[in-house]
Amino acid sequence: MADLILSEIRELISGHTNGYVDAWKAEGRPVIGYFCHYTPRELALAAGACPLRLRGAGSEDSSTGDAYLSGRVCTYVRHTMSLALEGRYDFLDGEITTNTCDHVRRAADLFVKKTEIGFHGFLSVPRTPRESLYGYYLTELRNVIAGLAEHLGVTIGDAELREAIRTVNSIRRRLRTIDELRLEEKPKLSGAEALSVHIASQVLPPAVFIDLADRLIDALRERPGLDASRGRLLLIGAELDEPEYVEAIESQGALVVADQLCFGSRSLLDAIDEDAADPLDAVGRAYFFSTSCARMIGDFPRRWEGMKAAVESARADGVIFERIIFCDPWGAEIHNILHRTAAESTFPVLSLTREYNIVPTGQVKTRVQAFIEKIEIAKAKNQASGVEK
Amino acid sequence: MTSEEMIRIPQWRTIFETLPVLRGFFDGDADAHGFSTLLRGVSIYLERMLHHVDQEHPFVWYNLGFNSELVYALEDVCPVTIESLGVMHNLLGDINVSMDFIDNAQSAGIPADCCSADKIAIGAIHQGLYPEPACTVGINTPCDAQVLSTQVMHELSGAPFFAIDVPYYHNDDSIRHVAAQLSELIPFLEEHTGRRLDYDRLREVCTLSNRTTESIWEWLEWRKQVPLTQTSKVAALTLVMQILFTGSREGVDISAALAREAQERCERKERFFEERVRAIWYQDAVWTDMQIYDWFERELGLTIPVDIFGYYANEGLIDTATPETMLYGLARKLVACHPMSRQFRSDMDVYIHDFMNMMEGWKADCCIFAGHIACKHAWGGIGLFKEACRRADVPLLVFEFDMFDPRITPYDDIYFEVERFVNEIVYPRKMRG
Repeated sequence: MADLILSEIRELISGHTNGYVDAWKAEGRPVIGYFCHYTPRELALAAGACPLRLRGAGSEDSSTGDAYLSGRVCTYVRHTMSLALEGRYDFLDGEITTNTCDHVRRAADLFVKKTEIGFHGFLSVPRTPRESLYGYYLTELRNVIAGLAEHLGVTIGDAELREAIRTVNSIRRRLRTIDELRLEEKPKLSGAEALSVHIASQVLPPAVFIDLADRLIDALRERPGLDASRGRLLLIGAELDEPEYVEAIESQGALVVADQLCFGSRSLLDAIDEDAADPLDAVGRAYFFSTSCARMIGDFPRRWEGMKAAVESARADGVIFERIIFCDPWGAEIHNILHRTAAESTFPVLSLTREYNIVPTGQVKTRVQAFIEKIEIAKAKNQASGVEK
Repeated sequence: MTSEEMIRIPQWRTIFETLPVLRGFFDGDADAHGFSTLLRGVSIYLERMLHHVDQEHPFVWYNLGFNSELVYALEDVCPVTIESLGVMHNLLGDINVSMDFIDNAQSAGIPADCCSADKIAIGAIHQGLYPEPACTVGINTPCDAQVLSTQVMHELSGAPFFAIDVPYYHNDDSIRHVAAQLSELIPFLEEHTGRRLDYDRLREVCTLSNRTTESIWEWLEWRKQVPLTQTSKVAALTLVMQILFTGSREGVDISAALAREAQERCERKERFFEERVRAIWYQDAVWTDMQIYDWFERELGLTIPVDIFGYYANEGLIDTATPETMLYGLARKLVACHPMSRQFRSDMDVYIHDFMNMMEGWKADCCIFAGHIACKHAWGGIGLFKEACRRADVPLLVFEFDMFDPRITPYDDIYFEVERFVNEIVYPRKMRG
């Protein structure tokens, strides 16, 4: 049963939209696209819209995007914007972009100047999670809410926001359960499957996802565990919404038992207070302070501690870092990770640079295979010398 | 580290040995006020740095999106732009040292596709070449590359770090947001340098900063004259002045000397080349060999009256009336004037608008988009920029190179691209009227 549900999920995330979103639209209900984790989904939900994470899934080539963005911009943005420039995101009632990075800022230009989408929201998210800067972010959220409300002709008050928080908390609870099932000695699902579920949570109408997730959790509990004896891995990095990539890693025998990916568990916040006196403030604080992307300056020490904690809780044997070529913030991150791992002799790290929408072939598999062998050799040596991991 | 030890370090020794030779060369040219004053300014800065080292004064590191005034306003504190040693080697020293920095940064994990401006900074830090900082300041402008370098600076220095966030928008709220952070930065600097910021001293520094700004504006005005009589290769120096010298006496002297040199040459109608074509160099300068501009002038009659690093928007001077107005003025410089930070931080409209102003104001015939390969936000806007140039009927050359690494695109290739563009497109078109 689990295989069947996971296969359904995989089909649903194979394109930039899906049948459930189409049906939502057909009922006359709005859909709002967004790029970045720092855009709270609660905003669109409170406006009665379905939040849809913008992706390049289904883009066959990026040439339309390349014409505007050049070949020096990350392929995730180029593929996504190819779809947008070809009008395939025109069904959106609005989109919200951020100053996440140079690439997304340029995508914002194109959304405004080159698409037919009717509403363009923008969040200038401060580049460091300092309390004194939080007020700016909160004001940005208020501005986007005001814009959305005006564009969609709705009222977005505290009641609507609280309902949206409740809905997203329901999604979070299910994702957390699924993540816990990955952590078992014999994980109930692979890293590729888990990533698919996380992606689905960001591209399906909430009720649809909650139903799917409930059925999946029940089925996973009955599913035999997977063999992780060749190695348990933590996968970290930026935008990765391609389960095929994780499959290529796992095809070499190890399992990705936890991740800190933008489309994956890093976006999974703790539950937000559903009864907060100021619900927008509760949402803002959760998104601004809880998780940290490499774009956040001066926050690497916290990310590093989070990474070490994740390795420990997942009982991971090693870390695979993935980065789309041309990404500077994550370029700094891998430097700093390597600097810390060398200084603290922590865990083995494999750094992979990749392109979006390219199914990994022999090169990635060979490197992962060598990395797993390195882990196995180290484990064997430790066992031989009586050292516990 | 003592000053004697510092001078013995090969990467510093080259600069200390080369500077007097270059100064002797340029000081001997009665008309080269600009470059010889720049060299004198660099010498004074380095001599002071040695003095600070010996006196064990605190050092403050920061990245190239920041300006130096607040550090100068603290008594006996040395500002260090982390890119400075690599830039000095590009301009004055040994380019091989810069390339070593780049290779060193890459071997430490910085991806090859990241910006060489960061790599020259990170390589120098990895090699322990800068005196240890009391604290560091990182600003997120002008680009993600600066986010990279500040994150690495923070990690490698281990010193207390203060991040400045410059928002996306080109408006007054953004300036006030940054001014509030500068207000927070002052106690941070005071705590970690052990120096008190005296607002009278800040007023003096801001006054010097304003004089530098006024001279830059005056200088840029003289460079509007047709034909251009001052060399193209000084066009990009505004950025250097803002990150290392603004707020100091040297900043005033360098900018005034550049303006005086431009004025005198204009008044004498003196030039060393026949100007055939004027271009706005609308991306990064060829720091690896500024002589390429001489080549353009001599061989092609191509002049660059202004480029994106040289353009300094007239958004007003710092009002020195109160501490608050000074911080607002300093913030406005960072947000709305600093080259690249102004044009790239927001949408492409400011970038395109400034370019069109330059085309008109400096009476250019064409645009050369010298695309530094790692400058993603510039490349990311190339489609819209091409459309804008097409609409305005501006001939546009686009090519790739690396501003700090000559191994990426050979000079011959750059020259070939520019020569073909000038001789086969722009000049014939200009002759046709």
